[in-house]
Amino acid sequence: MTPVYLLIMENEKLIQLRDVSIGYEGISLIDHIYIEINKGKLVGMVGPNGGGKSTLLKTLLGLVPPVTGRLLYKENITFGYVPQSVTFDRIFPLSVLEIVIMGRYARVPFTRKPDKNDMDIVRVTMVRTGIDHLKDRTFRSLSGGEKQRVLLARAIAGGPDIIAMDEPTASIDSKGEAEIMSLIKDMKENKEFTIIMVSHFIDSLIKFSDELVMVDKDRALFKHGDISDFTDKQYINEIFSKDITYR
Amino acid sequence: MQIFNEFINSYFLWKDPMLIGLVSGAVCGFTGVYVVLRRMVFISATLTQISSLGVVLAFYFQSVIVGTFFGLINPFYFSIVLTCISAVFFSMKRDFFPITLEGVIGFGFLIAGSLTIIMSDRITQGAHEVDNILFGSAVVVDNKDLIFIPAISIVVFFVHYFFYKDFVFISFDPEMAKLFGYPVRIINLIMFIILGTVVAVTTRALGALPVFALLALPPLTSMYLTEKLKYVFILSILIGMSTAATGYFLSFIMSMPTGASVVLAGSVIFIICHLYSRFKKVNTNAIA
Repeated sequence: MTPVYLLIMENEKLIQLRDVSIGYEGISLIDHIYIEINKGKLVGMVGPNGGGKSTLLKTLLGLVPPVTGRLLYKENITFGYVPQSVTFDRIFPLSVLEIVIMGRYARVPFTRKPDKNDMDIVRVTMVRTGIDHLKDRTFRSLSGGEKQRVLLARAIAGGPDIIAMDEPTASIDSKGEAEIMSLIKDMKENKEFTIIMVSHFIDSLIKFSDELVMVDKDRALFKHGDISDFTDKQYINEIFSKDITYR
Repeated sequence: MQIFNEFINSYFLWKDPMLIGLVSGAVCGFTGVYVVLRRMVFISATLTQISSLGVVLAFYFQSVIVGTFFGLINPFYFSIVLTCISAVFFSMKRDFFPITLEGVIGFGFLIAGSLTIIMSDRITQGAHEVDNILFGSAVVVDNKDLIFIPAISIVVFFVHYFFYKDFVFISFDPEMAKLFGYPVRIINLIMFIILGTVVAVTTRALGALPVFALLALPPLTSMYLTEKLKYVFILSILIGMSTAATGYFLSFIMSMPTGASVVLAGSVIFIICHLYSRFKKVNTNAIA
């Protein structure tokens, strides 16, 4: 069945997946996925490495088409995306300021350049995320934690409806992780953005999320529910055994 | 000093090739920045090889099927078309070849290289021109090149100025660009067509080897000298021009093959800048 992209008109609903199969090149990894992402929520997405979390996230964002099923969006929805900093090639001599400005490109038309208003928003965002002192440094010269903060600032600068984060605290030290989680907590409390956060650290997700999505393609597992449904750590351990990290 | 005076006094011999060399050095150095940033240096070698093949094929068709449609084929335009088609092919999703882009580029280089050698062995008309294309010439410049290369360079600089933000964005983070609704495939296509056109027009004038060198060495060298992308572009233009000028000068005064002289000049500048960056402890880990 060809995937269908429709518009959801209700204000609170931003994304819906209806009986979706996720995968690549027509090969399904997990079937019968139903997800509804509502405004202002922090949705955690957890599962073992290679379990299909990133594929599901990319399907939600429209970067990977669903194999089957329906993917529905609110009209004119905008996304911010925080990938893992290790995905970027170190060869690019780009400054922190140049990276954060890219967040505004969602609102700067193709071939146009950011204007003064865009620059003002970028500066405010950099102050807010505590990276204004890094603006002239090259992105590649930063520590893992600093890079993630820059990428988070880039996502915030675009003023999106949804910020999607793919393992934002992976490969960074505990201080960096605390800084990132503090920023996420701040965003959640202000209810500025709807947040989808992928992680294999379930304790962080349980602490901050309103809802949780569990995926594991090897066990054909998909579960989505309120955070209260997932507080039984024994149950989660049974499902994910050695792959899930508690810290 | 005497050699230098002799060189200056013979300016009527080298002024046109030097002008073409300077403009080609600038446009190749500039375009090459994207090639290096996207870690596709070898695509320059493959496209220059395909461009050479285009010229050789055109001469072959002219020599064996004279008087027919093929006999009317112009090597210049045929080379541009073939190179651009190849560049477009490299920019497309690799459904046909489910291997890495590097593998496809390597395959393209090998097949184009072997066909160029085989076909050039079978043509008599234009054999000298084929030699010039493969190895470069210090004194022979087609009048068309004096118009085409500067004109195409101006267009290339204009397009890059217009699309600078978009080219850098999709090169650095194509996934985010796609998420923002940027026409990533179309921008990629434009970039590869520009590269193909630059390679085709400059290869005919300078030769395959020097064009490959001018696309790869100036950007790599400039990355030793600066940590800012805008300055990388500016320095690449200047280093590309210096490489071409030094290569032509050495070729003229020492009677060396021009293409090899340009490559040698670029390599020496590259090594000097590498040593400078080591001495100054500039962060160059990223180039590795």
